[in-house]
Amino acid sequence: MSIIKAENLSYLYSTGTPFEIAAINDVNIEIEQGELVGIIGHTGSGKSTFAQHLNGLLKPTSGKLYIDGVDVWESKKTVRDVRFKVGLCFQYPEYQLFEETVYKDISFGPKNMGLSEDDIDKRVRMAASFVGLKEEHLSKSPFDLSGGEKRRVAIAGVMAMSPKVLILDEPTSGLDPKGRDTILGMIKEYRQDTGNTVLIVSHSMEDVAKMATKVLVMNSSRVAMYGTVDEIYSRSNEIINMGLDVPQITRVFMRLAECGVDIGRNVYTVEQGKQELSRLLGKA
Amino acid sequence: MDTIIKFENVDFRYESNSEFSEPMAINGLNLEIERGDFVAVLGHNGSGKSTLAKLTNAILLPEQGKVLINGMDTADDELKYNIRQTIGMVFQNPDNQIVATIVEEDVAFGPENLGVEPQEIRKRVDDALKTVGMYDYRQHEPHKLSGGQKQRVAIAGVIAMQPECIVLDEATAMLDPRGRQEVMETIRMLNKELGMTVVFITHFMDEAVTANRVVVMDNAKVLLDGTPKEVFANTELLRSVGLDVPQVTELSQFLSKMGIDMPNNILQAEECVTAILKVLEVQGGCLL
Amino acid sequence: MVKDITIGQYFPGKSVLHRMDPRMKIVLTLAFIVIIFLCKNFFSLGVMVVMLAVMVASSKISIKLILRGIKPILFIIIFTAVLNIFYTNKGDIWFEYGFIKITSGGVYTAIFMAVRIICLIIASSLLTYTTSPTMITDGLERLMSPFKFMKNSVHTVAMMMTIALRFIPTLIEEFDKITNAQKARGADLETGGLIQRSKALVPIFIPLFVTSFRRAYELAFAMECRCYKGGEGRTRMRQMKLTKIDFLSVILLTTMCTAVVVLNIKFVHLV
Repeated sequence: MSIIKAENLSYLYSTGTPFEIAAINDVNIEIEQGELVGIIGHTGSGKSTFAQHLNGLLKPTSGKLYIDGVDVWESKKTVRDVRFKVGLCFQYPEYQLFEETVYKDISFGPKNMGLSEDDIDKRVRMAASFVGLKEEHLSKSPFDLSGGEKRRVAIAGVMAMSPKVLILDEPTSGLDPKGRDTILGMIKEYRQDTGNTVLIVSHSMEDVAKMATKVLVMNSSRVAMYGTVDEIYSRSNEIINMGLDVPQITRVFMRLAECGVDIGRNVYTVEQGKQELSRLLGKA
Repeated sequence: MDTIIKFENVDFRYESNSEFSEPMAINGLNLEIERGDFVAVLGHNGSGKSTLAKLTNAILLPEQGKVLINGMDTADDELKYNIRQTIGMVFQNPDNQIVATIVEEDVAFGPENLGVEPQEIRKRVDDALKTVGMYDYRQHEPHKLSGGQKQRVAIAGVIAMQPECIVLDEATAMLDPRGRQEVMETIRMLNKELGMTVVFITHFMDEAVTANRVVVMDNAKVLLDGTPKEVFANTELLRSVGLDVPQVTELSQFLSKMGIDMPNNILQAEECVTAILKVLEVQGGCLL
Repeated sequence: MVKDITIGQYFPGKSVLHRMDPRMKIVLTLAFIVIIFLCKNFFSLGVMVVMLAVMVASSKISIKLILRGIKPILFIIIFTAVLNIFYTNKGDIWFEYGFIKITSGGVYTAIFMAVRIICLIIASSLLTYTTSPTMITDGLERLMSPFKFMKNSVHTVAMMMTIALRFIPTLIEEFDKITNAQKARGADLETGGLIQRSKALVPIFIPLFVTSFRRAYELAFAMECRCYKGGEGRTRMRQMKLTKIDFLSVILLTTMCTAVVVLNIKFVHLV
């Protein structure tokens, strides 16, 4: 059974007027438990709107959404439950820290879930270890930390709810390459350890290529493609036509293939590129 | 050499809140930037690159050494405004630079502070907005603009003061790909067509490859300084200090090491394609 | 979504009223309000109502919007009217039951008060509908500038107002973002009494304050980098010039004022 199932999900603004805008339009998708899905699309394609439906922050104007088999909008209780089942971490989450200590801030989510002190403590420490925060960090004020550390605290705050689905909206924005690699590595490990489903909204095709098991491409409020990384990259031309960028190496191999070189088109990492070229040049 | 910015043995350290002093943010920096150049300053967070930017227009003053702008010492309080007229700065957060409720009024803010005559301000504002491609938005409210548009307005606000040099302190870090493209195109045009000196602080190497000169900062010092091709050839070194190299550079180095006759400092995709095709032709393994 | 909220409800346009000098508009609005209070009977009030109607027509703002401005204070109008009906005893008695007495004087006074309040609201709304907050701030700053001893503090206050106006929509957006982020962690802003709900706002207001301080800090640097040094020696791009429309308005208002005074004297009583 899929963990996320959207049926004809739509969210429209200003309905009934000539200015009606569809933020998402007729989205149909099923995502299986344990996937790491990269959600890509141009700005305004509906990625963030879709993400905010998954944890019940936004109510669709039409269509249905099932999380773990339950209709999200069935009752007030189901909406509240989904808030904790699906953990949504927004862009630049470090701007939402507010508590006196890192420990207290991370425990905000579990506290709202009504857990016991013991359970909360376990969750906080588990989340802190996932993001690489040490004991001495827990007693510090979040405002005394560096930008990268703050971001990890914020992500831990969402992980502490042990959600079945973790959604991260552009988790690497504003970070330098080292910071980006750290966060992405963290997320990979988290998924491996917990087996939870992870969705990453991203602008970087390269990041997605490195990590995702599946890719969801949104275009102008609709789902354009959903498939494995290989499947998506086999349609690189379409992706470029949507105004999205593909990794530099993909462009190179696409051009080579266009020139008639007998080479795989599905190259999206440097390693694959090296392999392909070795094979080709070894032949000749 | 016609130097516009000169760092002479500059040391800088941020103030510390504790009894321990902070580590050096800039350590013994000697650097000269030539008029009309397009320089990218690359480095990971904490390398000193942002500090470098803030030292150019007297936001920060060196602990040791001197920063000279057109010969003016930034430490001289009397010259502060002259220096800030010579060096315009655009910051990282698009919102926290815009002061007025309407775009054209914000662009006018700089000239107004300089006491420029009203008719002249009008002309400068219109010219600046046209240069950055935001003239149609002159009566819009800033909060309704996209990140890239806001940064272009910020750039217009700076060029309306007619500086000789524009310093962009990680101005694209908070933008989406389209916004980054808009800003990069704008500053490239400012440099090529208006001859403005551009100092561009970033950690995105795909932006640095288009500069004339790349200065890599690490641990408060200059690690590498040269043309993009010269700098990015040092792939191992760059990676060891937490920076990226273009994928094609890595690929070309790999092939070069394999013994293939190919330049090892390719930076752009097209270049790479051309080089590989050449190689394949030679080896008789492809048709064109 | 939140971007549609504008403080002061400014509706851009090119009508006569929009094009008037903001300093004149501020002064004339104040004068209008004073004159309305001088009206003593329906005739003089009627003159002001006619003038108001002319102003509304020349602003090209739809009647619907004007009426929408009255909605919030509708309760006060009705309340005042009712009070007047029951407590003013003047003229003929129209209805009597026990100690409840409704007189003609009471009804007329009630209507008079109601019309006056409505005129006041519409007159002040017209100012904000046709003058952007920036123009109002600017206009006020320039009106006060002849007072040299206050000049710098006037500029500082005006600058603060401009920056506040500029950031209100941004702060509202930030508030929404933070609210969503905390809701995503299970913050409940809907259940409970006043105290519980106020406490629930702490995770929203603390981050909002922190980012606002940071914004202010960064903005101050950015302003300094553009050579801001207070009001001393600053010029303005936008020049305010009095035009024919402004002079005509002064003449019109003076005429109305005279008419009001005359009508007050001629018709001493309310009716």
